[in-house]
Amino acid sequence: MTRRFPELVSLGGVLNIGMAMAIIVSFVFYSSDAPAHESGPVKAIKVDAKKAALGKRLFFDKRISGDSSISCASCHIPEKGFSDGMALSKAYPGSEGFRNTPTLINTAHKAAWFHDGRLGTNLNDVTREQLTEDYVMNMDMRIMQERAKQDPVYVQMFKDAGYGEPSNGSIRKAIPEYLKTLTSRGAPFDKGTMSDAAKRGAKVFHEKRCGSCHAGTRFSDDKPHNTAVPNNPDIWSDPMRHHTYVAFGLFMGIENIYNIRRDVGAHVRTHKVNGTDVGKFMTPTLRELKYTAPYMHNGTMKTLAEVVAFYNKGGGSDVNKSRAMRPLGMSGEQQADLVAYLEALSGDPLTGAEHVWKDAIPANYTAISDWLKTPN
Amino acid sequence: MTTFKTKTITIGLALGVAVVTLTGPVQADVNAPLAALGPPPIPLDNKQTPEKIELGKLLFFDTRLSGDASVACSTCHEPKQGWGFSGDISRGYPGTIHWRNSQTVVNSAYYGKLFWAGSAKSLEGQAPSAARGGVAGNLERDIGTARLAFIPEYRKRFKDVFGDEWPKIKNAWRAIAAFERTMVQTDTPFDKYMKGDKSALSEEAVRGKGIFEGKANCIECHNGALFSDQQYYNLGVPRAETWLDNGLAQITFRFEQYAKGVTQKMYRSIKDDAGFYYRTKQVDDKGKFRTPSLRYTLYTAPYMHNGTFFDLQEVVEFYNEGGGTNEFSANKTDLIKPLNLSEDEITDLVAFLESLSGDEIKMSSPKLPPYAPLPNPVK
Ligand code: HEC
Ligand code: HEC
Ligand code: HEC
Ligand code: HEC
Repeated sequence: MTRRFPELVSLGGVLNIGMAMAIIVSFVFYSSDAPAHESGPVKAIKVDAKKAALGKRLFFDKRISGDSSISCASCHIPEKGFSDGMALSKAYPGSEGFRNTPTLINTAHKAAWFHDGRLGTNLNDVTREQLTEDYVMNMDMRIMQERAKQDPVYVQMFKDAGYGEPSNGSIRKAIPEYLKTLTSRGAPFDKGTMSDAAKRGAKVFHEKRCGSCHAGTRFSDDKPHNTAVPNNPDIWSDPMRHHTYVAFGLFMGIENIYNIRRDVGAHVRTHKVNGTDVGKFMTPTLRELKYTAPYMHNGTMKTLAEVVAFYNKGGGSDVNKSRAMRPLGMSGEQQADLVAYLEALSGDPLTGAEHVWKDAIPANYTAISDWLKTPN
Repeated sequence: MTTFKTKTITIGLALGVAVVTLTGPVQADVNAPLAALGPPPIPLDNKQTPEKIELGKLLFFDTRLSGDASVACSTCHEPKQGWGFSGDISRGYPGTIHWRNSQTVVNSAYYGKLFWAGSAKSLEGQAPSAARGGVAGNLERDIGTARLAFIPEYRKRFKDVFGDEWPKIKNAWRAIAAFERTMVQTDTPFDKYMKGDKSALSEEAVRGKGIFEGKANCIECHNGALFSDQQYYNLGVPRAETWLDNGLAQITFRFEQYAKGVTQKMYRSIKDDAGFYYRTKQVDDKGKFRTPSLRYTLYTAPYMHNGTFFDLQEVVEFYNEGGGTNEFSANKTDLIKPLNLSEDEITDLVAFLESLSGDEIKMSSPKLPPYAPLPNPVK
């Protein structure tokens, strides 16, 4: 399986992380998204309906994984805000995951993906990564392409979408087109229907400077920070999960991988020799939290109340913890209000036919009848 | 040791022929004589040791060396199926089907090139391509390496055998190769006969040997101690029927063309397995396959690269009719002609073929060592 390093990872080696992030942030500012200080609904992205429909079917189709046992939607479940409800994700059969599955709602607005931000190019590359990565879908894309060509529904859909015959290249275009349809809508925050508690919580949010990291319409600065979220011991005590992290580390070139017992986070991207980037993770969006518990890159916090209590005591402990993390002295009532505010940032579930492929997808393939006379 | 030398000569001859076949239609007409089989060649950089062989055996049976941890080498090379697979076309990785017949690993140690089309140069090189191939093991190196590290018993054994601090996947392939080099059979009735025990072969088989070396001229290709000149021929074996009516098989068929890098034009039009062509990209190599050994074939039905024939009788009848036709019949070898064998002669020839197999090599799956958490790192 071919894997290319994203451009930004190599950039990170040359520029310092600040500069690299500046590039990303400016990209976000001036191209697709609203400025960081602007708070309002996330803007819907225009999509090509036929390409997006094709991407939708692919997203729910198990046959695009190596052994045809899981689809993107096995981990990114619509009812759970396109996350999976587990602390640590599942993985391709034979392994178990070592990170929390993030929501995909609004992911098309981002400029760097994954909890460590290691991919800073585009969703086409992220899709390829998910398809081919040995612990995600372990798909040889040449087989994937031939599978799509065997399904008359796909043959027609690719044609209608203007892609010609099914190819792995167009699969990697169609899925991102579908992901662009996953935009938050209908949150009380956007509709002006917040409860009083939520309104009070909004004030707490500003006073306590949560917005210094959770900024913009998506409530994320798209930067990595060290908030010292505690380690999740389940990764290291379970060989099924730990071996997956080792495989990841071998691929990413993490030094001393067999002796590491923590997720190094953004270090895989910036490789700082002094290790000050170890333990940084990307600021996640705060939209759709109602559906996406448990929280943090390793799912160690089960409820929003727990998250808020964590911030109240100034985060966890780590030598490289961000200086922005300090005890906040919130009262119990303030904390409850803050939770109400966070909940008001969640919108309507994206579980209708617009976002979910509702028709049955066959597990098998019909034979091409006049095979000898039909060009391959 | 003399037979081992004979073997070396066979290879020498075979290479000579290879040059000739590639440059022109001239054929060497000296066939290596049939002989008892000696021990297999052992590469200098991968010596046999009991510990390495034992490790290789465990790994051969271990499903964790495949992508979704569900197939081992032994899944397609089942001891009870002649160390091959029961079907005409092998099963594949879950969600796929293979496109060729699974070969026995018995006596694979003697070949210079592995696979039906000779695409691997050594057992050490064959194992990773089997483990990684999308329709076989679908294993990535990183995850394979990582899994080995979490099996304490393997950590210990890789350290003892190879000195690895952490198991290296390349050494897994070396251990498997060492195990395969023990999967040989040198005491068949035929071998006993050649070593002087004239009662080892029935009268029929002795007559069959004469036909094999004479009238039927099988020895033209199935020669030497291995019963293989290790050359590539198109016998006109007909295409696998399954491609006509099995969707999964059609997928794999196209994937293989794509993966083997044929031209766009050929990808569109080809409807059969071009075999040796994928290696050489020479038009006149289309449809050629490596002459397989005839040893151990009593247990390895069905036969040919696509398992078209279900018993040895059918194979001999195929030869008796002068072979068959396939998409690449233009390349069919002149060495295959109608043989006019009588029914008795066919029976004798089959009896001889059967004498090339000894007792069935049985083995039950070993108990595999479990995963365990890594011990805390030493600071
Ligand atoms: C086995 C579970 C699993 C499957 C299957 C899976 N994902 Fe994911 N996905 C994850 C996890 C876990 C992460 C976070 C990984 C990390 O941070 O290293 C993730 C991250 C992502 C991200 C980045 C999100 C962000 O905000 O940074 C995108 C986009 C994504 N997946 C899309 C897909 C697509 C498209 C597919 C199908 C082709 C897919 N995923 C299949 C578990 C899965
Ligand atoms: C220094 C930057 C920073 C500040 C300030 C900050 N956060 Fe965060 N927040 C992050 C990062 C980084 C993460 C992800 C950490 C991880 O996964 O290990 C995160 C995670 C979260 C999550 C979990 C989201 C999920 O999907 O898992 C919530 C909820 C959250 N923050 C709320 C808040 C609130 C409320 C405040 C103010 C009290 C706040 N944050 C202040 C950077 C910050
Ligand atoms: C999914 C089924 C499958 C699995 C798993 C599999 N094989 Fe095979 N094996 C085959 C098939 C089919 C062939 C013939 C393929 C060809 O010629 O293209 C083959 C050929 C071989 C050969 C060549 C024999 C010869 O005469 O040239 C050897 C040796 C072998 N396999 C060993 C292994 C080992 C070792 C493993 C495990 C690492 C393994 N196989 C895993 C199906 C499989
Ligand atoms: C021109 C060379 C040649 C001659 C002569 C020849 N063979 Fe073969 N034999 C082959 C090749 C090549 C194959 C594999 C063909 C394929 O799979 O397409 C084969 C396959 C076989 C097989 C199947 C083995 C297996 O493991 O699937 C048997 C049995 C066999 N031959 C017996 C014979 C007998 C008996 C004769 C004489 C009547 C004979 N062969 C003559 C080249 C030859």
